[in-house]
Amino acid sequence: MSGPSIQCQQLGLSLGGVDILSGIDLTIPAGEIHCVIGPNGGGKTSFVRSLLGQMPHTGNIEMRWNSDAKQHTIGYVPQFLDFDKSLPVSVDDFMAMVCNHKRPAFAGFSRGKRELAERALERVGLAGKYKTQLGSLSGGERQRMLFAQALIPQPELLILDEPMTSLDNRGEEIFLSLIEELRSQGVTIVWIAHDLQQVRELAATISCIDRTLVYVGPPQPFLDSDTAAKLFRFTRPHADTAPLSALASTGSAQ
Amino acid sequence: MTDFYEWVRTSLQALAQQGTLPQAFEYGFVINALLCALLIGPLLGGVGTMVVAKRMAFFSQSIGNAAMTGVAIGVILGESYTEPYISMFCFCILFALLLNYTKGRTQLSSDTLIGVFLSVSLAVGASLLLFVSAKVNTHILEAVLFGSVLTVSNTDMNVLLIVTCVVLALGIPLFNNMLLASLNPSLAHARKIRVELMEYMFVLIITLLTVACLKIVGAVLVEALLLIPAAAARNVITSLRGFVILSMIISTISCIAGVLIPMQFDLPLPSGGAIIMVAASFFMITTIMRAAFPAYRTARN
Repeated sequence: MSGPSIQCQQLGLSLGGVDILSGIDLTIPAGEIHCVIGPNGGGKTSFVRSLLGQMPHTGNIEMRWNSDAKQHTIGYVPQFLDFDKSLPVSVDDFMAMVCNHKRPAFAGFSRGKRELAERALERVGLAGKYKTQLGSLSGGERQRMLFAQALIPQPELLILDEPMTSLDNRGEEIFLSLIEELRSQGVTIVWIAHDLQQVRELAATISCIDRTLVYVGPPQPFLDSDTAAKLFRFTRPHADTAPLSALASTGSAQ
Repeated sequence: MTDFYEWVRTSLQALAQQGTLPQAFEYGFVINALLCALLIGPLLGGVGTMVVAKRMAFFSQSIGNAAMTGVAIGVILGESYTEPYISMFCFCILFALLLNYTKGRTQLSSDTLIGVFLSVSLAVGASLLLFVSAKVNTHILEAVLFGSVLTVSNTDMNVLLIVTCVVLALGIPLFNNMLLASLNPSLAHARKIRVELMEYMFVLIITLLTVACLKIVGAVLVEALLLIPAAAARNVITSLRGFVILSMIISTISCIAGVLIPMQFDLPLPSGGAIIMVAASFFMITTIMRAAFPAYRTARN
């Protein structure tokens, strides 16, 4: 299996008379990890939501799928799940909601779907949490559950919107190993990331978006540049002596 | 269906005359009301869980109030005083769809927009009722507002039966999609769910249900029956299955008890009021249980 390549031509987005994105021209290679970075309010989430077809964008987005399947699978992990925390919905219920075709989640899993859901939850380290209410999960556990739903069915394109925000170290390890595993299977991964160290280590290509496209290409040259330092306002305790690259490797986006 | 209703009525009345069933069953209208209660109880209880999950209680109240305006329009247009269903369904569906359409195209919060629509609908309704009050016995309007078991006819039961079938046919296969669309629209969209369509379907379900339940529960109180059983169940339940089942049970018991208790004890209560008071007692009980037993407080707040 191989994921699609994505080509954006003159992608623009305007909401309420405000230009959110303009003139984005970039290509995301197939079967690689592509990180989207940029300052807060720079339009990263709007960019991925445009990729998902959820925004009234201008310009052209072309996904070139490598398989002949009629239905292509896009996995999506949102930034958070906004819901009433006292709602009596368990992890099992949530997974049944996303796995089942017609059978309502309160009636349990459809045939064969429980195994799928349990396997996905095991992969994200949530085995044994099946009956836990969503409101009782920690932020990191909820994020891992969202990752689990994105694995059903196996995606060809995986879009991650700042998935690491509330993860602890173990959660991060699980996420990173899963992302690496999916990449090795040929899945195209578009990942809005804030941790530039992770970007440096995992991304094949990056794009920096601050309403317009600031940079697209391999991560190293950009992350070592003054432009990146200015854009992300790296703290430079030893600005006179420390090379910019070293600071970039420990910095994070503001 | 009329023959079937007649057969049920005759059979139960015979059992009541033999002393097997309570004396209230000797009256045909009580049996009509109970048949309706057996339909609307589980239905309102089940749909109510979605209303609570989607935080749409205020919306369902606005539909109940819009139905009043629908009645006034129906009477003015010459529909039957007791069964102005065409006007009620048309006006309420138009009201609901317009409200949902506007919601998706304005920056206003949902409750502000519903408040505006509700006020306009009530203003139109109150103005039209001035004309209607001269033509109709005010007791008929009271029945629409607060429910009355005395006025339930075969037509009402047929309407309720058809609406039940439509709601089940739409609600069961779309339950997951509608719930996921409210939990996270972006995620739902990414999973190829048509989020806007799901919103319209849910709005349609609530509207059909509200209008069909008017005769038993009343326009003012039907929203309460969508809300209270689900809220009562949520107090003590930790799974979706339990939530839906308990809400349906509480709603059904409330409907049956609300119809029978005033008859049995000769209480001058409208059926809608009695039904809601029974449901409210369940809510109080489960609230006390939640406060008293830590086992029911599992979710983080």
